[in-house]
Amino acid sequence: MEESEKSSQSTISSFQVFSIHVCRGLALAKPENCSYLKAISRGLLGLPVGALLNALGALALGAPVGLQYFERTISWTLLMSSLTFVPTACVYGSCWTDWHRIFACTKPKGPLDFMLCLPAHGAVIGAWFGAWPMPLDWERPWQDWPICVSYGAVGGYVAGMVGSLALALMRTGGKQLKAE
Amino acid sequence: MWGWWRFGKWTVLIMFLHIIAILIFTKGFLLTRTELPHSSRCSDISQSPCHSSSSSSCWTKPAVDRLIIIILDALRFDFVAPSSVFEQKQPWMDRLKVLQRMALENPSSAKIFKAIADPPTTSLQRLKGLTTGALPTFIDVGNSFGAPAIVEDNFIKQLIQNGKRVVMMGDDTWTQLFPNHFNKSYPYPSFNVKDLDTVDNGCIEHLLPSLHQQDWDVLIAHFLGVDHAGHIYGVDSTPMIEKLEQYNAVLEKVIEELQNQSGSGKLHENSLLIVMGDHGQTLNGDHGGGSPEEVETSIFAMSFKDLPSLPSEFVSSSCEPSKNICISSIPQLDFAVTVSSLLGVPFPFGSIGRVNPELYALTVGTWNLDDNKTWNNQDETKLEEWLRNYVNVLCANSWQVKRYIDVYSASSVIGFSSEDLFHISDLYAKAEENWLNLSLYKNESSNTSLPILKRQIVAYFEFLSYVAELARSKWTEFNLKMMGTGIGIMLLSLYCHILAIKKLNKSYGVSLLLSRDPGISFGLMLASFTTLMHALSLLSNSYILKEGKVANFLLATTGIVTLRFSFMKNKMLLEAATFLLLTFIFRIAIDVGLYKQAATSQFMSASSSWMPGISISESLRTYMAEIVPILALIILGYYLYKAISNYCWGIAKCVTMGTILSYLLIALHWISESNILDLAHFLKGYGKNYIPRTIYGIGLGQLLLLAIVPLFRKEEMSNYKGNLFVKMISILSACSSTVIILQGKQGALVVLGSLLAGYCMMRLQGIEQHTVRGGAGISIFNPLPIVQWSLLALCLFFATGHWCAFDGLRYGAAFIGFDDFVLAPQAILLTIDTFGFSRILPIFGLPLFVAFSSLSNQTEDGSLFSIKLFWIFMVYGLITATTATATIVCVAIQRRHLMVWGLFAPKFVFDVVGLILTDILIFGASIYYF
Repeated sequence: MEESEKSSQSTISSFQVFSIHVCRGLALAKPENCSYLKAISRGLLGLPVGALLNALGALALGAPVGLQYFERTISWTLLMSSLTFVPTACVYGSCWTDWHRIFACTKPKGPLDFMLCLPAHGAVIGAWFGAWPMPLDWERPWQDWPICVSYGAVGGYVAGMVGSLALALMRTGGKQLKAE
Repeated sequence: MWGWWRFGKWTVLIMFLHIIAILIFTKGFLLTRTELPHSSRCSDISQSPCHSSSSSSCWTKPAVDRLIIIILDALRFDFVAPSSVFEQKQPWMDRLKVLQRMALENPSSAKIFKAIADPPTTSLQRLKGLTTGALPTFIDVGNSFGAPAIVEDNFIKQLIQNGKRVVMMGDDTWTQLFPNHFNKSYPYPSFNVKDLDTVDNGCIEHLLPSLHQQDWDVLIAHFLGVDHAGHIYGVDSTPMIEKLEQYNAVLEKVIEELQNQSGSGKLHENSLLIVMGDHGQTLNGDHGGGSPEEVETSIFAMSFKDLPSLPSEFVSSSCEPSKNICISSIPQLDFAVTVSSLLGVPFPFGSIGRVNPELYALTVGTWNLDDNKTWNNQDETKLEEWLRNYVNVLCANSWQVKRYIDVYSASSVIGFSSEDLFHISDLYAKAEENWLNLSLYKNESSNTSLPILKRQIVAYFEFLSYVAELARSKWTEFNLKMMGTGIGIMLLSLYCHILAIKKLNKSYGVSLLLSRDPGISFGLMLASFTTLMHALSLLSNSYILKEGKVANFLLATTGIVTLRFSFMKNKMLLEAATFLLLTFIFRIAIDVGLYKQAATSQFMSASSSWMPGISISESLRTYMAEIVPILALIILGYYLYKAISNYCWGIAKCVTMGTILSYLLIALHWISESNILDLAHFLKGYGKNYIPRTIYGIGLGQLLLLAIVPLFRKEEMSNYKGNLFVKMISILSACSSTVIILQGKQGALVVLGSLLAGYCMMRLQGIEQHTVRGGAGISIFNPLPIVQWSLLALCLFFATGHWCAFDGLRYGAAFIGFDDFVLAPQAILLTIDTFGFSRILPIFGLPLFVAFSSLSNQTEDGSLFSIKLFWIFMVYGLITATTATATIVCVAIQRRHLMVWGLFAPKFVFDVVGLILTDILIFGASIYYF
């Protein structure tokens, strides 16, 4: 039991590192108008802010409170933050209108916005669905607090990535067709 | 009144449909056998027409001196029966070799039976069934989860009454069921499923030494390892096979020991060994349901003398001559009465089993054998003597069953139909008639009497099997047709609901000179999705157990979506954030409630996920606990005063003043209960009961005032909205004081919290109101706030420390203001406490969404308002009805679930009562507000 918990935690942290890298890569590759260093520092700033917001949301939805869950909750919120907030923070910094456009109105413009918006929403929705198996009485180790939620989030993120890729390709394809 | 009827007829129609559907479904679903407190006595037999076999014995002549019952929990039939009986040999078969060997070597004195259990196949219920010889029902099973001690007559009780000494070892369920019955008991905890060995090792430790002792007549050893191994590893697993092999070794030792001591004059000269399962299990190790794997278990019985065998017409076995083994089948229902007859104690009063001939024939005592002479198979006189004896036993048996049926149908509300009763009497009369004939033949030669005896036995069998069949169909089989009809009517009512809402939409559009359909908005989608998720979650026992968390999860989800929406509009961020904060607070309260529930529920282990993290000093905390609710009350009173002071409607002012007085009294009551101030002495005599009673009185007076006065007073129609608001405030305040005092100190805080939440929701609803202004207020058709409101109501139910189980009722609340139990007021108070926050206040508070919805729009006239109001009531009713229907459907689907009586049925009862209450309240509120 304990071993599985530990392994799951390590999977989470490895996921974090992984996703941070991916997001950075994604974010860094795109914008030409801002330096890499600036993007990294924005992302680093965005990480705790996003973590805090995610933690508040999770607590309102019923994530377990208590000291023994503290560490797990922190690592989960960092994962969620790096999936949802960090990429946008890297790209747009603290520009309110862009954030508003992407997250509140869900009106992405162009492939870059799609790459930011869809995976982030996917991760949140995936995490929401991932929470459903938690109360079931199957007594599986992966039903513990952040594990299945994290799987859901990562699944949703990947789905969002694929979706955004497809959408971006379709858009550009359509544009190219129009141009031709 | 005519105006009300235009839409009010829908509420009446729907209420009517709901009541019919629920009545029909309940009749098909709830198995209603009531327990009778009577028990049998030795002297009763003189009332029967049967011959007492001898003056010294009780109902029957004792046939065995000592009985050893070894129960192996969750013993599948194929664990015991030889693998040649089955199509395919599996690894778990043929492990209990010693039983098979015994049955094969001396088929007349050792036998393997296939025992058929009656569902629910859980240990507790089965032990009850085995010892009482009766069938399980909702009432007794429902009770059994709270206080499991058996009240019905049972054979353990009979043993004690007749001076037999009983020793028990193993599963501690026995000591729960029979708290003071055993001379000696060695109980071991059965709760920890992961522990395969503690109970078994304890059993083994005491079993073999006990066999040498003389201080018992009946020994019960209950092994649990196979059950636990099945639960954890499944049947096809190494631990299971190891367990079975361990049992085999133990049984070998036991049988050897008994055989060694079976000589004449020795300790086990006339003993009977029974090895049996209480129920089977599926290959996954589950049990509880009614599938063949779960109900088929086994009984192995063995006596230690050579015995004659029965004529074949009494053997119900399916013999396979090629395989050289016969296996008969025996309903577990028969166990109690057969064992009672063997031990010579009266049969349990409520038993409807019959004395099984094969099991009965397995003992020496029934055969009247001479010790020295070996018996002769052709000896007809021996057989006749046995049959005569057996007929006598059957006579007592039939008489006892007939007596039970008569007493039961005389005393119970829902008995058998008169047709069935007539048939029973007819069969019994026939058997009796035969019996008289037999008595006439008694003195004639034995050649003629043998067929007559056999005919007599057949007549008794017919009677007994008919009764058992009838009882089984009445008491354990769900009436699927009725359940289906109930569900059908429920669905019809949902359709009516939707139709009514459509109609309201239309007439609203017409009166606004709009023809377009509101269509499907995002709010409608989210609302439907949330309701659907909630309804689907009822399919699983885990979600029902944690329904508070589910409701809170969904509520917070809608809250987050609203927050996002208000971000989009850049409006009312504060309200949305406050709403989320409130859901968080409710969530903490729900966690506390769950913690309490886990302490009593047998399905939940007390999880320590919630820890009171605040470690402020004890005195400060108690101080806070005393002061904060009173502060909350004062704030409530202040707002009430402020809200009402702007309007000058005489009665309303009167009512709210009454409420404020009630609040003061509540505060006084709490202070008198606490020990901060030394007011306790001052109020001792009066405060404890008179203050609550005064508050109830004020509340009742307010309600009467509100109900009666409008009949004599014409309202001015000019300010419809203001009127509505005042009406709402006055009825809410009238109800709130009683609800708060019943709820205790947290009540004031909860009211304050829900008021704030309602305010936030109402404001947030306004976001769309303003944005879709161009569409002329179409957005009133957004059902999202109403879904939120109903989810909030559900959260409040759990946050105030209730849950859907009978031990979740707060019985303490019924005694606030009363010392003695009087049914009517206590029942009313308990209902108000249970449904106060989840049904009564939310429904009367629903006009909140109309009264404030279009603050700037003063031109709307009264009829438009009333349509809106009806629409809101209808949607709220629809949401409640949808969840209730989902509960009904889920209960019907899960009717063979392990927890159907412990979890699904109470949930069903709560939901159904809540639904009817909601219908009535909506009916009342719509009349009141119209």
